[in-house]
Amino acid sequence: MTPPATAAPAMSPNAVPQDSQANVDILSVITRGTSWPWFALLGLALLGVGQAMATLAYQTYVGLGVAGYQAPVFWAVYIVLFVFWIGIGHAGTLISAILFLFRARWRNAINRSAEAMTVFAVLTAALFPLIHIGRLWKFYFLIPYPNQRGLWVNFKSPLVWDVFAVNTYMTISIVFFFVGLIPDFAIARDRTTGVRKFVYTILALGWQGKSSQWKAHNRTVLHLSGLATPLVLSVHSVISWDFAMSIVPGWHTTIFAPYFVAGAVFGGFAMVLVVMIPVRRIYGLEEYITDYHLENMSRFILLTSLICGYAYAMEYSIAWYSGVEFEQTSFWLRAFGPYWFSTWCMIIFNAVLPQLLWFKKLRTNVPFLFVLCVFINIGMWFERYVIIITSLSREYIPAAWGLYIPSMAELSILAGSFCWFSMFFLLFLKGGPIIAIYEIKELIIHEKAHGGAH
Amino acid sequence: MPELDRRDFLKLLGASTGAVAAAGCTVDPIEKLIPYVIQPEEVVPGKSTTYASTCMECSVGCGLHVTSREGRPIKLEGHPDHPINQGALCARGQVGLGRTYHPDRYEGPMVKGSNGSSAISWADAQSKVAGAIKASAKGTWILGGPVGPTLSQLMDQWVSATGAGGRVVYEPFANESLRSATQMVFGRSVLPEFDLSSADLVLDFSSDFLDQGLSPVEHARQLSQAKDISKHGGARLISVGPRLSMTASKADKWIPSIPGGEGALALALAMAIFPKKSSAISGDLRSVKDLFKGQNTGQLLKQAGVDQHTFDELVSRLLAAKHAIALPPGVSVTSSSGTSDAAAVLLLNVLLGGQGTRLKIPAKDSAEHGAPYSEVQALIAAMKAGKVNVLLIHNANPVYSLPAASGFVEALGKVGMVVSFATLTDETSEAADLVLPNHDHFESWGDVSPRSGIRTLVQPTIRPLFDTQGLGDSLLAIGREAGAKLGDASFLERLKSAWSGGDWRMTLEKGGVYAPVDAGSTAVAVTVSQIKISAPALSGSGEYTLVAYPHSFIGDGSAATLPWMQEIPDPVARASWLSWLEISDNTCAKLGVDYGEMVNVTTDAGSIALPVYPRGGIQDDVIAIAIGQGHTVGHYASLAGDGQPGKARGASVISLLSDATDENGGRAWLSTKATVSGKMGYQRIPLTQFTDNQRGRKLAPTISLAALAMAGVHGDDHGVVAAAAAAGGHDGGHDAPAATAGHGEGHEIIIPFDTANDAHPDNEYRWAMSIDNDKCTGCGACVAACYTENSIPIVGEEGMARHREMSWIRIERYVDEGDREDGHERRPHPDREALGKTDVRYAPMLCQHCGAAPCEAVCPVIATYHTPEGLNGMVYNRCVGTRYCANNCTYKVRRFNYFDYSRENWPGNMNLMLNPDVTARQQGVMEKCTFCVQRIATARQTAKDEGRPIADGEVVVACQQSCPSQAIQFGNSKDEKSRVVAASSDEKRAYHSLHVLNTRPAITYLKQVDRADDERSHG
Repeated sequence: MTPPATAAPAMSPNAVPQDSQANVDILSVITRGTSWPWFALLGLALLGVGQAMATLAYQTYVGLGVAGYQAPVFWAVYIVLFVFWIGIGHAGTLISAILFLFRARWRNAINRSAEAMTVFAVLTAALFPLIHIGRLWKFYFLIPYPNQRGLWVNFKSPLVWDVFAVNTYMTISIVFFFVGLIPDFAIARDRTTGVRKFVYTILALGWQGKSSQWKAHNRTVLHLSGLATPLVLSVHSVISWDFAMSIVPGWHTTIFAPYFVAGAVFGGFAMVLVVMIPVRRIYGLEEYITDYHLENMSRFILLTSLICGYAYAMEYSIAWYSGVEFEQTSFWLRAFGPYWFSTWCMIIFNAVLPQLLWFKKLRTNVPFLFVLCVFINIGMWFERYVIIITSLSREYIPAAWGLYIPSMAELSILAGSFCWFSMFFLLFLKGGPIIAIYEIKELIIHEKAHGGAH
Repeated sequence: MPELDRRDFLKLLGASTGAVAAAGCTVDPIEKLIPYVIQPEEVVPGKSTTYASTCMECSVGCGLHVTSREGRPIKLEGHPDHPINQGALCARGQVGLGRTYHPDRYEGPMVKGSNGSSAISWADAQSKVAGAIKASAKGTWILGGPVGPTLSQLMDQWVSATGAGGRVVYEPFANESLRSATQMVFGRSVLPEFDLSSADLVLDFSSDFLDQGLSPVEHARQLSQAKDISKHGGARLISVGPRLSMTASKADKWIPSIPGGEGALALALAMAIFPKKSSAISGDLRSVKDLFKGQNTGQLLKQAGVDQHTFDELVSRLLAAKHAIALPPGVSVTSSSGTSDAAAVLLLNVLLGGQGTRLKIPAKDSAEHGAPYSEVQALIAAMKAGKVNVLLIHNANPVYSLPAASGFVEALGKVGMVVSFATLTDETSEAADLVLPNHDHFESWGDVSPRSGIRTLVQPTIRPLFDTQGLGDSLLAIGREAGAKLGDASFLERLKSAWSGGDWRMTLEKGGVYAPVDAGSTAVAVTVSQIKISAPALSGSGEYTLVAYPHSFIGDGSAATLPWMQEIPDPVARASWLSWLEISDNTCAKLGVDYGEMVNVTTDAGSIALPVYPRGGIQDDVIAIAIGQGHTVGHYASLAGDGQPGKARGASVISLLSDATDENGGRAWLSTKATVSGKMGYQRIPLTQFTDNQRGRKLAPTISLAALAMAGVHGDDHGVVAAAAAAGGHDGGHDAPAATAGHGEGHEIIIPFDTANDAHPDNEYRWAMSIDNDKCTGCGACVAACYTENSIPIVGEEGMARHREMSWIRIERYVDEGDREDGHERRPHPDREALGKTDVRYAPMLCQHCGAAPCEAVCPVIATYHTPEGLNGMVYNRCVGTRYCANNCTYKVRRFNYFDYSRENWPGNMNLMLNPDVTARQQGVMEKCTFCVQRIATARQTAKDEGRPIADGEVVVACQQSCPSQAIQFGNSKDEKSRVVAASSDEKRAYHSLHVLNTRPAITYLKQVDRADDERSHG
C-alpha cells in the first residue's frame, strides 16, 4: 500500500539544503516576528470559538431543542462533526506510525504537521459527544468508575466502546506527538531567548542529543508506532460500530469498519494538504515540503478514494441484492429522496473528482490539489451527513418518517469547531517546529551520503 | 505572606472545595413539603379518591369518574355504570379538566371601563346588573348553552320572577333538524336513539357517528360489538358522504355523494325497498305512499350523485340484511332541506324494521337542549332593534360560533349591558361589559339529563381556585337584588330538593339515576308526507361546495382552548394546531396549488386564507374546512400563548357561512358555495405523519372474511360469508406469528416466540397487550388518556411542526397495503386515498416492550433496561440523552425532552393536573410508554397487601381504560387464562408489528378484517 517511496529520492534532488540551514529555515516560523495576518486569523478563530461557546452555553441552559433535531432524526450535525473530526485525526497517526514502520521516508516532511493536526482534530472531535448529549452536566455517567451512586455503564453499548476508543486514541496521539517534539524543542531551546527559552527548556525535558538519548528516543518512537498502528484501524472501526451495531437501515452493514477507516484516511490526507499547502507557501518551506511530497500524498488520496467509491457501490449493491425493502428504500431515497443533494455531493467529491489524480500533471499542480482537497473535505463531511441523517429520516415506520434541517445553533457550533481547530493550529505554528527538524536533518544527511554516489 | 498554620490551611481547603462543589452543581433548592396538620378524613396522601360526576364538554352527557389526589382532581375517566359511555370517554371528555387549571380563567369579576377591563367586587358587579335589570326588565334576555334541568328550571323561574324578556338556549350543534325530522315522521319533537350493537349493516349518511355525531363513545362501542366476527363476519359499515371522514375511513364501503344529497339517496332507498318491507311500517301507510308518489328515483339519485349500479347494489344489500340501521345526516351536510333529509333517513329506518330495538323514539323530550336557530335569529333581530337592554350570556361563545352573516356582533353593540358568566376568557366575554365568572365545571354543583331516563349529578371535586361564583347563585343574587321573588334557597339547596327522592349521598356516589329509555310509539305520523327532498340551497356563485365539518377534537370550537385537543393530530389529516383546506388532488392540479400553499377561500359572507391540504378522499367540487379554529382570544385557542395576542390560530370557517336555516329554523351548516383563489406563500402544516403509504411493510395488514371463514372462525355458514369464501378473497396480511411463511409475494422468515419468555423465568408476570385494529376507529381517546395519565407535555404548534410531539401513543393511519415500488418522495400528505376507496387502516403505535429490545442494548448508561416483569423500563434520572435508543427503536415511539417541558409548558395552574405518581421528566432525557407502570405498581401493592397475585383485569392501563371500542386488552401473558392471552391467540388475525426484525414485541395486534371483498361479491 505504500507508494514507491524508496525508489525515488526522499528529498527534492535539485535542492538539498544544508542541515544547519534547516534549523534556521524551519525555526524561522517561530523566531521571526509575528505578522498581523496571523493575529487577525487568530482573532477570527477566537471569535468563532467564543460565539460557539456562547451557543453551547445557551443550548445547555435552554435545551437541545435549539438544535434542529426533528424526530426521527435524533442524531445530526454534532455527530456528523464528531465523525468528521475523528476522521481528520486519522491522517496524522497513519503518517507517523504506519508510514514510519514502512520506512516511507517521504513522510518526514509532513509528519509533524499531520501529527499536530491529529491531536487538534481529536481534541475537537472529543467535544462533540458532550455537545450532543441531552444532559451535558451528567456526562460522567458514561465513564465507568466505582461510585457511590451504584451506577455502571452498559458494555454492550457501542457508545461506551466509543468512549474508550476516543480516549485511548487521544492519549496515544498526544504522547506520540510530544515524544516526537522533544529533540526539536531542544533545538528551539538553543535558539531562543527569554521566556520562550524557559518554556522550551521545560518542554525539552533535558534533551542533550546524547547518543543514549537518541537510542531511547528512537526505541520509544518505534514502540509507540507499534501501539498506534492498530489504533489507526481500530478507532474509526469502533466509531463505525456506533452505526453498524444498530438496526437502522443504512447503518446496519458489515462494510462499515473498513469503509470508515478508508474514508478517514482519505479525508485526513486531504485535510493535511489543505493545511500544508498554504503554510509551506507563506513560510517559504517549499524546500522541505516539496512537490514530490505532495504528489505522494495525492497518490494516497487516489487510493483511498477508490476504496471509498468501492464502498459506496457496495452499499448499494448489497441493498439491492439483499431484497430487503427497508434497505432498498433507504438507499433509493438517499440518492433520489429529499437529501439527494448531499448524496450526490458525497459521490462526486469523494469518488469521481479524485479520479483526476490519475494524471500526473494534475497531481503535481499545487493549486489544483488544494482546491480538490477542499472539495474532498466537503464531500467527506457530506458522507457522514448522508449516512447519519438520511438513514435516520427514513426508517421502518413510514408514518414516523421525518425531515431534518440544521438550525442556527448547529451551524454556529459547526463554524466554531473549525475555528477551534484553526486556533490550535495557529498557536502551534508559532509555538512548535511545524516540520520535524531532526528527521529532516536525518534525511539531508542521508541524501548527501547517497546523493553523491548517483 | 502571612503565616498559614495547619488549621487555617485545612479551613481554606474545605472552603474552596465547597465553593467549587457549589458552583459545579445544578441542584435546585430543596423545597420542603408541608404535611397536613389536620388531615382531612377522606384524604390519604398518595392514594387517589374517585368522585362520580358528569361530562359537559358536549351535549351527550357521559358519566365521569374524577380521580382526585390530595384534594385536586388530576384525571377523568368514564363512569363504568353510566349507560351511555360505560366507562369509556372520548378524547375531549378526558381533557375537560384542563379548563379548571386553565391560564385563561377569570380570577374574579371584571368590568369594562374606558381604559380596558378592571376588577370589581361581586357586590358591586351584581348590583350593577340588578340595577340595569330593574331599569328595563322586559329588555333583559338570557342567552346560553344547555345547563341541566335544575339550573334550567331556575333560569325559567328567574325569567318570570324578574319579568325578563326571555331566555334562548343556544348550542352550535343542537341537532335541530333531527328533532324536527322526528316530529315530521313520528309526531314528537324528540331526539331519536340509535343502537348499533345488534346491527348487521350500518348505513351512515355522513352522520359522523364515530367522530362528532349523536353519541360517539356509545356508538363506537356498539359498532365494535356489532363487528363481532362470530356474528356472520360482523356488521358491515357503508358510509355515504362527500369526503373520507373519520367515520367513512372506518367504513367497508364509501359511496361518495354530493353533499346535501344524502336525504335524496335515503328516500330513493326507502322507495326501492318499500314493496318488500312495507309491513314494517305501523301508522299512516297512506301518507308514506303519498310521499313516494311523484318521486323520481333517477332524479333523486342525480341529486345524491350516486349512480344506478351503486344504488342497485345498495338496495340488494339492504334487502339481504336482517338488522340494518341507517344513521341520519350530521352537522356537515345539514342543509336548507335538513329536516327532510333526516326524516327520509328515519323513514328508511322504519322500513328496515329497527323500531324499538335499533331505533328508539323516546316518549318525551329530555330535559334541555338547544332551541331552533331561528330563535337565536329572532333574538338578534330584537337586539338590532334596540329592544334588548341587558343580555346575560352563559356557557356559550356566540361571538365566535354564530356566523358573521347573522349580525350578532353588530347587534351586541346595541345592547346596553352585556353580562358574561364565562369561566374562561373567550371572544364573547371579551366583548361583554361585565364578567361575572362562573365556577369551573369541576368546582360546581349541577345536574344533567342528557336523555330520557338518565339523570346524573355534577359535583365539585376541588374548592374554587379563584374568586368565582356558581352561575345559579349569581343569578339568584342578581334576581333578588332586582326585586324578584326567588326564595332564600341557594342553588345547592335547590339541587338537593330537586333530587330529594333518594339518598343524596348514595346518589352522589352512584352519579345519578339510570333508567332505560321510555321508548314511545314508532307509528309513522301523517306529517311524513311533508318530506320534501330538494337540492340544498347554496348561496354564492363559487364553483366549490363548502363543507364545514366539526373538528374531531375541537367540535364546535369550544374545545379549542384545551391544548391537548389542539395538539393531538386530527385522526384523518394528521394535522394539528391550525386550519387547513381539504381539497381534492384533481382540483389542486387544476388550480395549480400544492400542499401548504396559502389560498383564499371566498364566499358571499367573507374570505379567509388557509393552507392547502390536498387529498384523494374528497369530491372534486367540494372543499372542506373543519369548524372550530380561528379564535382570536385565549392562550391556546388563539396565538396569544405563542406571544401574538389577538391573532387568530388558523381561520374560522364560520365566518364564511351564511345565516341559512333548514325548513324548520334549524341551523344549516351546508349553506354556501365558495371560490378558491390566490397563492400567497407557504405555511407548514404541523403534520405528524408524512405518508400513508405503508410500502407493503404490513404494519397494518388486513385479512379477508374469506380467509377467516376458511379458518373456521365462523360458527355457521351464513350465505354472505360462504359467498365471499367462494369468491376467493386474498389474505392481505402476513400470517399469524406462530404460523410459517405466508403465501403470496412475501416470503418472511418467521421465528415463533412466546412473549411470556421475555420476562425473568422466576417472575410471575410478563405484561403484554393486544390491540384489535378492526375495532380501532382512530378516535384518539387513548392518546388523550395517555397525555393526562402520564403528564405528557404539550409542545405547541412550533414543536409539532418540527415533529417534536411527546405523545407516548400515536395512531398511524395507512391507506391500503401501500406501494413498495413508490420511489418518489411525494409532497407530504396522504396520497393513497381515492374517491370511493376506503381501505384505511388504523394502527395504534406505542412502546412494544420488546423482549429483544433494540433500545436496551445501545444505551450506554443502562437508563433503559429490561425489568424482571418483561417491561422495557426507563430510568429518567440515569439518562444522559445520547438518544441512541430513539435511533435504534424500530417503532419510533421514543420521545426526547428537547426543552424543559415539565417545568415550562404548564402555564397557569396547569401543573396541578400532573399525575403525582408519574416522574416529571427533565430537559434532555428520553421518555416513552411505560405500560402505565404506576398502575401496575398500585395493583401490585394492593395484591401484596391481600397476599395474592395480581388478578387478571386488575391492571387497567390508561389507553385501555379509555377506549370506547374496547380494542385494547392488557394483562399478564404468563397467565394462560388472561384476556390478553385469549385475544392474542387468534391464529388468523394476530400479528406483531415488524415481526421480521425479531424484536419480540409484547404487543400483539389483531388484523383489521377486510369486509370489502364481501361487499364486492354482492354487487
